[in-house]
Amino acid sequence: MIKTWELDPNFKYEIMNEPGGEHLTACYQCSTCTLGCPVTEIIPSYNPRKIIQMSLLGMRKEVLSNADLWICALCQTCTARCPQDVMICELMGAMRRIAEEEEKAGDIKIESPRPLFEKAFLHTLQKYGRLYDMGLALEYYPNREGSKIKGMKAMMKDYKDFGMRMFKKGKMGPLGGGGVFKGMRPEKIKEREVLKKIFEKVGEKEK
Amino acid sequence: MSEKKIAYYPGCPSATTAMEQDMSTKAVFEKLGIELEELEDWNCCGALEAGDPKLVIALNARNLALAERKGEDIVTPCSICYYNLARTDKALREDEKLRAELKEIDRSLEYNGTVKAKHVLDVLVNDIGLDELSGKMMKKVNLKVAPYYGCYLGRPPETAFDDPDDPVLMDQLIELMEAENVPFSYMKTKCCGGPLMMTRADIAFEMARKILEGAKNAGADCIALACPLCGMMLDAKQPDIEAAFKIKIDMPVIYITQLLGLALGIEPKKLGFNKNIIDTKKILEKVM
Ligand code: SF4
Ligand code: SF4
Repeated sequence: MIKTWELDPNFKYEIMNEPGGEHLTACYQCSTCTLGCPVTEIIPSYNPRKIIQMSLLGMRKEVLSNADLWICALCQTCTARCPQDVMICELMGAMRRIAEEEEKAGDIKIESPRPLFEKAFLHTLQKYGRLYDMGLALEYYPNREGSKIKGMKAMMKDYKDFGMRMFKKGKMGPLGGGGVFKGMRPEKIKEREVLKKIFEKVGEKEK
Repeated sequence: MSEKKIAYYPGCPSATTAMEQDMSTKAVFEKLGIELEELEDWNCCGALEAGDPKLVIALNARNLALAERKGEDIVTPCSICYYNLARTDKALREDEKLRAELKEIDRSLEYNGTVKAKHVLDVLVNDIGLDELSGKMMKKVNLKVAPYYGCYLGRPPETAFDDPDDPVLMDQLIELMEAENVPFSYMKTKCCGGPLMMTRADIAFEMARKILEGAKNAGADCIALACPLCGMMLDAKQPDIEAAFKIKIDMPVIYITQLLGLALGIEPKKLGFNKNIIDTKKILEKVM
């Protein structure tokens, strides 16, 4: 049951103020988004239409702490099909960012490792200017698992066979040309100073 | 196509997981007499992990500006890089204030919207064109192919260059090389699960499994694709997917530029056919 006295009528405006959230109130609940969603196909309880309805009603806390916000694959199918141009995919991004702020303020707990992954990704990008898979993994897994040892174990499990495959094909390591440490050391761009400035000015939320 | 030079934005996976896409893109353009000039000192586009649109725009403005200073359009083989470059280009063309803000951050982010951002597939079919390509076909590519487009070519509408529900550009190339398109419409534009790989591998694997088995059931010899993240999921992770579901798929996954390269008479090694994770021997035997 919805506790009407706990609803936050301003929640929809809060979302609409965030880039990507602008079209929220155009939604007329037709369910086209949910019907075409590849994640819903696999996890039937995942329902983007419902997340939007809850937002429109002002169920702020329920929406922001909902783990479903983080399993959207960002595939754009719903955005392409929505008759009301709601840009659901971008909307998910907007809600995710509000949820992260809320977590920082200590008001909710996000039940997904996705923010940790994004942080690790952006750290390598900020540091080197290019994606560096190994650096990313070395930061992400320990954070996700809550300790270095557990993180290393989880990482080994995911990467042992995969890494061997890459090695054999010369996509990592010495076999493919491009140096002995190919793929194992970061590729750095020269103008890293510019990246630093970018992150200082527009990346505050990402740090 | 009039200009013979394009700025090339390879994207991060080009150096490692998607080497064969990089190699075959370069080989195909060389064969077609178009110079791909790699952008010097390009930076990562932020993929789908830079959630804040402003950050995406700043990161990609730098790359667009690098191309603009050379006066060349910018082409990338990656669907996600393409999306980020194209949406940045659009945002900056429409918003003078935003352009000024970026210039404030650093002079090198000054972009005035005088070049275009394109995906390799778009350049091949729409700029170079099927007519010109058809005169250069050297070899019949005798294969049954499942053309897989994934997400960011036909959607979102603001940057799409193919149909969202039934894209055709790869189909057209496949026909041109006298290969056969297997019936695959219902799977063509489904997400491969790549963006969930590191956080919800269970969902991602199931998404990829459907596409791989869909291609197999359609009788394909291989899947053709145009995005390194799709390649990572469907090719590099295929053995993990087989293990997770205890199934055998063994479906070669080939970049469309690799297939086109064969049709143009380029030798397989130059196209990186020894780099795909799922063995491509069977494919090559059928074609060569
Ligand atoms: S498709 Fe658009 S209008 Fe329909 S429920 Fe989804 S968001 Fe609302
Ligand atoms: S973008 Fe997210 S909500 Fe929309 S169809 Fe794809 S997975 Fe579903």
